[in-house]
Amino acid sequence: MDEFSYDDDIVRKFLVATFVWGLIGMLVGVLIALQLANPAFNLGLSFTSFGRLRPLHTNAVIFAFAGNAFFCGCYYSSQRLLKARMFSDTLSKIHFWGWQLIIVSAAITLPLGFTQAKEYAELEWPIDIAIAVVWVLFAINFIGTMVKRRERHLYVAIWFFVASIITVAILHIFNNLAIPAGPLKSYSIYAGVQDAFMQWWYGHNAVAFVLTTPFLGLMYYFLPKAAEAPVFSYRLSILHFWSLVFLYIWAGPHHLHYTALPEWASTVGMLFSVMLWMPSWGGMINGLLTLRGGWHKVVDDPILKFFVVGITAYGMATFEGPMLSIKSVNALAHYTDWIIAHVHIGTLGWNGFITFGMIYWLLPRLFQGQLYSKKLAELHFWIATFGILLYVVAIYSAGITQGLMWRAFDETGRLSYPDFVETVARLMPMYWMRVAGGLLYFIGMLLFGWNILMTWRNRPAVYEVPVIRAPALAKRYVEPPQAPVPGGVLARFRSMRFHRDWERMPLVFSVLVLVAVVVASLFEIIPTFLIRSNVPTIASVKPYTPLELYGRDIYIREGCFNCHSQMIRPLRYETERYGEYSKPGESVYDHPFLWGSRRIGPDLAREGGKYPNLWHVRHFANPREITAKSIMPSYAHFATNVIEWSVIQKRVEVMAMLGVPYGDAVTRAEAMARTQATEIAGDIAKSGGPTGLQDKEIVAIVAYVQRLGRDIKGTSTVSAAPVAAASVLPVATGGLK
Amino acid sequence: MSLTDLMSHAGLAIYAEVAMVLFFIAFLGIVWWVFRPANRKRWKVDASMPLDDEHTQTPRQRED
Repeated sequence: MDEFSYDDDIVRKFLVATFVWGLIGMLVGVLIALQLANPAFNLGLSFTSFGRLRPLHTNAVIFAFAGNAFFCGCYYSSQRLLKARMFSDTLSKIHFWGWQLIIVSAAITLPLGFTQAKEYAELEWPIDIAIAVVWVLFAINFIGTMVKRRERHLYVAIWFFVASIITVAILHIFNNLAIPAGPLKSYSIYAGVQDAFMQWWYGHNAVAFVLTTPFLGLMYYFLPKAAEAPVFSYRLSILHFWSLVFLYIWAGPHHLHYTALPEWASTVGMLFSVMLWMPSWGGMINGLLTLRGGWHKVVDDPILKFFVVGITAYGMATFEGPMLSIKSVNALAHYTDWIIAHVHIGTLGWNGFITFGMIYWLLPRLFQGQLYSKKLAELHFWIATFGILLYVVAIYSAGITQGLMWRAFDETGRLSYPDFVETVARLMPMYWMRVAGGLLYFIGMLLFGWNILMTWRNRPAVYEVPVIRAPALAKRYVEPPQAPVPGGVLARFRSMRFHRDWERMPLVFSVLVLVAVVVASLFEIIPTFLIRSNVPTIASVKPYTPLELYGRDIYIREGCFNCHSQMIRPLRYETERYGEYSKPGESVYDHPFLWGSRRIGPDLAREGGKYPNLWHVRHFANPREITAKSIMPSYAHFATNVIEWSVIQKRVEVMAMLGVPYGDAVTRAEAMARTQATEIAGDIAKSGGPTGLQDKEIVAIVAYVQRLGRDIKGTSTVSAAPVAAASVLPVATGGLK
Repeated sequence: MSLTDLMSHAGLAIYAEVAMVLFFIAFLGIVWWVFRPANRKRWKVDASMPLDDEHTQTPRQRED
C-alpha cells in the first residue's frame, strides 16, 4: 500500500485567482456595456476606449476567470479520480504563477493597444510563447499524474480534461503563428480567407475546449459529488465525449457564412454544427437526470440550484448554436447582438454557474469549516439568475431588432433605414437594460466574494491533510486470468482485449484524442490552403502602401475591428447599403484579416473614397459632430500623436517576407510613406482643415481608410492615388458642419 | 511543379466528405463498444469513481 496526500494548496490558490479575475473581468464588462449605452464612458482616454477594453473583457473572463476555474476544479478532481498527488508540486506552482503573470501582462498590453487583432487570440507574440510554455508544463504535470495513477480506469471527467489540454495547445500554437515585426508587434503568417479560416477554427474551438469540454469534465465530477449519486448514464457520458471530440473541431466555419470563405467549407461547418446539437443535449439530459429522485434537494441547496440552471443554460446555448449555424438564420443574426446574447447565455449561465456551484461545494472542504452563509449563496443565485435574464432578453431583442432593420426595404424597393446610426439609436433602451442585468450579475459576484472571504477567515490554523492509502502501482499490469477466446483472429479482435490494453496507457489515449482532433482539422484546413480556386486572384488588388500599412496598424491598435466589419455579404440589403460584395481575392494581403464579427458601426469594406479626407479628420476628432447619435469613441489623439517613421521599414520588410509583393518599395518604405503623408496633409489643409498634420497619425489612418475596397474599382495604384481620387469625387459636403 | 499545384490537381475538396464517413465509422465502433453487454459492469464501477475520494474502485493489480 502506498501512502500519499492530495495537494489542495494549489486548488486554494486557483480558487482565489478565479474569483479575483472574475471580478475584474466582469467589472470591465459592465464598463464596456456602459460605453455602448453612452460614449461618454469611453472617458476620452485612448486606453479606456471600447475597442481596447472589449478584448480585455473577453480575455479576462474566458482565460482568467473560466481558465482558473477549470484549473481549480481540475487539480482537485484529477488527483482524487486518479488516486495520486500531482506529478510535481513545482510544476503545479509554475503553472499557477505563470498563468497569473500571463493574465497580468494581458491586462497591461491590451489597453495599451498591443494586439494581433484576432478574437480571443489578441495577445502579442511574447505572451503567446509564454502561454504555450506554461500550457505544455501543465500538460506534462497532468499526463505525469495519469502515468503514476493508482486507479486503473480513467473516469470520463479525465477524458474531457485530456482532450481540452491537448486541443487547446494545438489551436493556440497554429492560430498564433506570426512573424514578429517589433517587441510587441507581429503579422500573422496567414492572410485573408486563410487567416479567417484559421482564426475561426481556433475561435470556435476556444469556445469548445476552454469553455465547454473542461466544464463538462467538472460537471461529471462535481455534480455527482453534490447530488451524492453517480451520473445518470455513464454510457451516455462516453458517447457525449467522443461525439464532441469528433464534431466540434469541424464547426468553426459557421462563423463565416456568406463571407468570402469558399461555400463548401461553410456548408461543412454548418452540417457539423447541426450534428453537435445531439451530443450536447445528451450531455445536458445526462446532467439533469443525475438529479432524478433528488429534486427535493435542489429546493434547499444553492449548489444544486447553480448546477441545474448552469446545465440548463448549456442546453439552451447548445440548441441555439446549431440553429445559428444554419445559413439562413445566420444571415439575420450575423454581425448583430444576437451572437452576443448567445455567448452570454453560455458564459454567464453555464461557465459562471458551474463555477459558482463548484466553488460553493469546495469552500467548506478546502477551508475546512462551515460555509459562512448558505443564505448569501442562495441570494447570489437569485440575483445572478435575474441578471442573466435581464441581460439576454435585452440583447436578444437588440440583435433581432437591428438585424431586421438592416434588411428592411420600403415599398419603393429602397432601404427603410439607409442611415446606419438609426439602427444603433434604436437599441439604446436595450443597452441600458443590459447594463442593469450585468450589474446584477456583478453584485452577485460581490456576495460570492464576501462568502469566500468569511469562510476563509474561519479556517483552522493548520489545514488537516488526510493520508490516503491505495495499492501501489504495478510496474506492469497483468490481466486476471481469463478463458482463452475460442475461434480465429476475428473472434479475438471482437473480444476487444486490445482496447483494454489501450485504456491502461494514458499516453496512448492522449494520442488517440490527438489523432481525432488533428485529422479532422487537417481534412478541413489543407484544402482551404491548397486549392487555388478557393481564392481567385484579382490582378488589380495591390499591397497597401507603407503609410496605409502603418494606418492599418493604428486601426488594429485601436481595436476598430471590434465594431466595424470589412466583409460585405452577397445579400441585396448588404450590397444596397455598402456597395459591391467582398471577394476572396481582395484580402490576399491582409495579414491579419480584419473581416470583423460584429457591426456596432457600419461595415467599412468599401469606405475608401466615400468621404473627403477632411470629413475623416473631423469625424475621428469628434464623431458626434458629424453624426449626432454616433456612439463611436473620439480619437482626438490621432491629430497629436506623431508617426513612428522608423518602424515602417521593418514592417514592410516583414510583409515582404510573408510574400506580399512590395518589390522595390521595401528599400524606400519610409520615404514613400513621408511623401504620401505630405500629400494627404496638403489636401486636408487645402480643403480648410488643420495644417501641419504631415507627421501625425491621422494622415496614416485616413490613408488606410481611404484605400479600403477601392482596388477592384480599378482606380487605385500603389501610389497616393486614393488621396487624389478622394478630392475629385463629387461627395456632398452636407455631412460637414 | 510546386506542392500547391500538386494539391490543386488532387481535387481535395472531396476529402472532407471522405473524412466524415471515416469518422462516422469510427463513431459507430465506439457506440458498439459502449453498448456491449460485456461492458455493463465496468460502466457501473467507473460511474462510482467520483463518489469515493479515498479508495480505488479499479485498482491496478500487482504482477505477483
